[in-house]
Amino acid sequence: MSNHITTDLLVDYVHHELAPEEDALVHAHLGECAGCRREVENESALTDALRSAAAAEETDMPSLVAARVWETIRSARPSPLGRLAVLLRPAVAVPLAAALVIGAYVAVPLSHGGPAPTIDAGYYFEQHAAAQVQYPLAERGATLQPADRAALEDDSPPAQLAEQSNVGVATVDFISAVR
Amino acid sequence: MAAPRARVEPPSAEQAAFLERAIQQYGKATYNFAYRLAGNEADARDLAQEAFIRVYRAWRSFQPGTSFLSWVYRIVTNLYRDELRRRKGRFQEEIPEDNVPQQFGGERPLAVTPIDDYVERQLGEPLSKALAQLSAEQRQVVVLADIEEYSYQEIAEVMGCSIGTVRSRLHRARALLRRLVERARQQQR
Ligand SMILES: [Zn+2]
Repeated sequence: MSNHITTDLLVDYVHHELAPEEDALVHAHLGECAGCRREVENESALTDALRSAAAAEETDMPSLVAARVWETIRSARPSPLGRLAVLLRPAVAVPLAAALVIGAYVAVPLSHGGPAPTIDAGYYFEQHAAAQVQYPLAERGATLQPADRAALEDDSPPAQLAEQSNVGVATVDFISAVR
Repeated sequence: MAAPRARVEPPSAEQAAFLERAIQQYGKATYNFAYRLAGNEADARDLAQEAFIRVYRAWRSFQPGTSFLSWVYRIVTNLYRDELRRRKGRFQEEIPEDNVPQQFGGERPLAVTPIDDYVERQLGEPLSKALAQLSAEQRQVVVLADIEEYSYQEIAEVMGCSIGTVRSRLHRARALLRRLVERARQQQR
């Protein structure tokens, strides 16, 4: 077996996943070895079979699915924070917040007599929270993958998450018990 | 920090248009992908439905110019994994991958099935059955690599694992498939 190509390597080869030098070596070997050639043909045939079986099963998405999606969305009632978030889209909220912050320093000329308006920290944070609801990931960096974002926006209550991690712990125990 | 949780809000016109287009263009692919993972229509419907609700909710986090399908596949993959955990009460992916039934484990299977047998003998049914016997992760890798023609790198991104894991899952899955298909073929005789 020393000079033949392993099946794993052939699988990578048919998926075009080998580095160029490796790919060239395999290609050269296949040119002169009928046994490995046969095996690589079997691998390709398996892929073809998977593909045609999948194509044969392909169907349109049942219209029921889209209908239910729209139903879920349309029956949703806006939450109080959500309504606030709509009012305070970043296009509005960020300049507004900035204006308020700047205003804290240059407030005097804007005030017509009386004491300079002070910024209510609670108000600012409320706005900030609203903007965050709208863009929950704005401060979490760009490395986050879209599905993580979706997961973050999961509606499941925290209690359920805790439950899931407990299950995870139990599983680890189960696995070590099996080992 | 307690992560703020977005709720499903009634659609703005823009958001509704985004979802409408997503369903129109990618509904079929998403549904079929879900079907291949789950192996039955009821679960595929639920997965696709939930995925598009996520798409709707997270629509702003989709970056134009990136692959929408990869994004949706990732959502479906995560939903499916969560669903499996819920049903089985355990983390499927933490189970060692070589913990497969005895008769399939161990030595490398002899891949000597002639091409003609794969192609001409209507392997659709045995193949579907064989696919159903893979672990969820193995099935996902096979679907992504062989049916969707994703690169290992793309699969790693969709599944949230390393390329090395993709590679070893695919190797193991295909070895199992060959063995299972071979067995099904012999039983047909
Ligand atoms: Zn050889």
